[in-house]
Amino acid sequence: MNLEGPLKLVSQLVDLPILDKDKRWCGIVDDVELSGGAGRETRVAALLVGPGAYRGRLPHWLYWLVEKIAGARIARVPPVEIESIGSAVHLKCSAEQVGLHRTEDKVRSWIPRWGAL
Amino acid sequence: MNPLELTLGIMTAVGGFVDISELVFAAQAGSIFGYALIWVFAFATVGIMVFGEMAGRVAAVARQPVFNLMRHRLGLKLGLVTLFASLLSTLITCAAEIGGLGLILHYLTGAPYLLMASASTVVVMLSMWVLPFKWIERVYGLLGLLMIVFAAALVAIHPPWDKLLGGFVPQVPSGLSPKQLLQFGYFGVAILSAVMFPYEAYFYSSGGIEEEWGPKDLLTNRVTTTVGFALGSLLAIAILASSAQLFGPALVGPQEPGTTAMEAAIPFGRAGLLLALGGMWIAVAGAAVETCMANAYATSQFFGWEWGRHKKPWEAPRFTIAWIVFMLLALAIVMTGVNVMSLVEYAVLFSIVVLPLTYLPLMLLAGDKSYMREHSNKWLAKGLGWTYFAVVTAAAIAAIPFYLLTSGGQA
Repeated sequence: MNLEGPLKLVSQLVDLPILDKDKRWCGIVDDVELSGGAGRETRVAALLVGPGAYRGRLPHWLYWLVEKIAGARIARVPPVEIESIGSAVHLKCSAEQVGLHRTEDKVRSWIPRWGAL
Repeated sequence: MNPLELTLGIMTAVGGFVDISELVFAAQAGSIFGYALIWVFAFATVGIMVFGEMAGRVAAVARQPVFNLMRHRLGLKLGLVTLFASLLSTLITCAAEIGGLGLILHYLTGAPYLLMASASTVVVMLSMWVLPFKWIERVYGLLGLLMIVFAAALVAIHPPWDKLLGGFVPQVPSGLSPKQLLQFGYFGVAILSAVMFPYEAYFYSSGGIEEEWGPKDLLTNRVTTTVGFALGSLLAIAILASSAQLFGPALVGPQEPGTTAMEAAIPFGRAGLLLALGGMWIAVAGAAVETCMANAYATSQFFGWEWGRHKKPWEAPRFTIAWIVFMLLALAIVMTGVNVMSLVEYAVLFSIVVLPLTYLPLMLLAGDKSYMREHSNKWLAKGLGWTYFAVVTAAAIAAIPFYLLTSGGQA
């Protein structure tokens, strides 16, 4: 898939998993932010990742529940950080550089670092 | 293809095939209907081969776990419905496995059942914490081969082989009353569900990613799913056939796993009993690990978290928390005191109802050329896939009426 070419956004990009440059899973494309407008070229401005991006994709009651459980944070991944798009979105940068993996890092501090082979 | 790896993979598939639901339903089916339900086991085994092969192929070619691709294919809303249904049915199955572990240890030690269920959960969780994926798979799969004692026991009691082989021919026994026909239907649906539990395909696919499968592993995938699952299914069929030979004529209803273990005790005495109970504990513990990890895999993949047990627990922290929470939830269900056999019935009932919902997206993914390129489903996989999809859909519709009309399989 070529970011300069036309995209069938909903079917090709939204809900794809994202891997960073170290091949770590770091989220799902929960929504896409577009730039442009009527009569102008429409382009991808950012990939939106995080439960806050579910607003508008879920019924109101379900989004309310998701927000209570997981919060409403959104990370924005600019297209310049995208290496390639196939069955996953591969980034050129590390997850931390685009604000991904914050929850992962927070939860990591709860896990004891012993005992595993 | 490394022959050692392939052999180990097949042996692991054999040892990991049987779980508490198959133990319970195989023994009961043999006792009530003789050899007449063997063909359902054989038919369902071909079904899990078809979908297991697809799941492994998707992992090897697209190099993406099924739940990642499923969310992309189904979208957020329908994906969430599928995820929730799958998590619920697999959680109940996990609870049934933990209850089964408690019962088996209770038979072995005489200690209180709930205490033994808790102790078993601790042991299983410790193994999941300490061992990396490959070792978890191998330890439970290979030690599960103790279940071969059931096949040896069947040979030792000299069953009527002609009648046993006749059981592979699709049939409905003649002379059954309408109520017995319903009971036969209920057991058929339950066996189909128990052999084709949806978690098996998801666990297998995620395992392929854990072991970094690629297109070069497609033959290993095909051989493991066909030969491994077929040999594993023969163990379940051996339990059914021994029950038909030993329990049916004596009017013994093997409703609890302890009775099933007697199949090995009759020809081999105390050693046979201990081997059978040991093999059952390992096989059921392996199933508890698979169900719990399948739920953690599904959740992590759906939300794009770091996952995998080839990593240290702290390297995939939300995945680690997920499997711990699912295991503790399953134990909590058992600790309510709900009867294990009821849990087994709920597990097969829930699973058959969600089977079409979980296998349809897998079949579509495996047939999607944009993911699978030249390895997408060909005519055989397509034909078998749609046939089994039609059968499991019909079974899903019939499952609850059968359950209600027979009061859970009673005549």
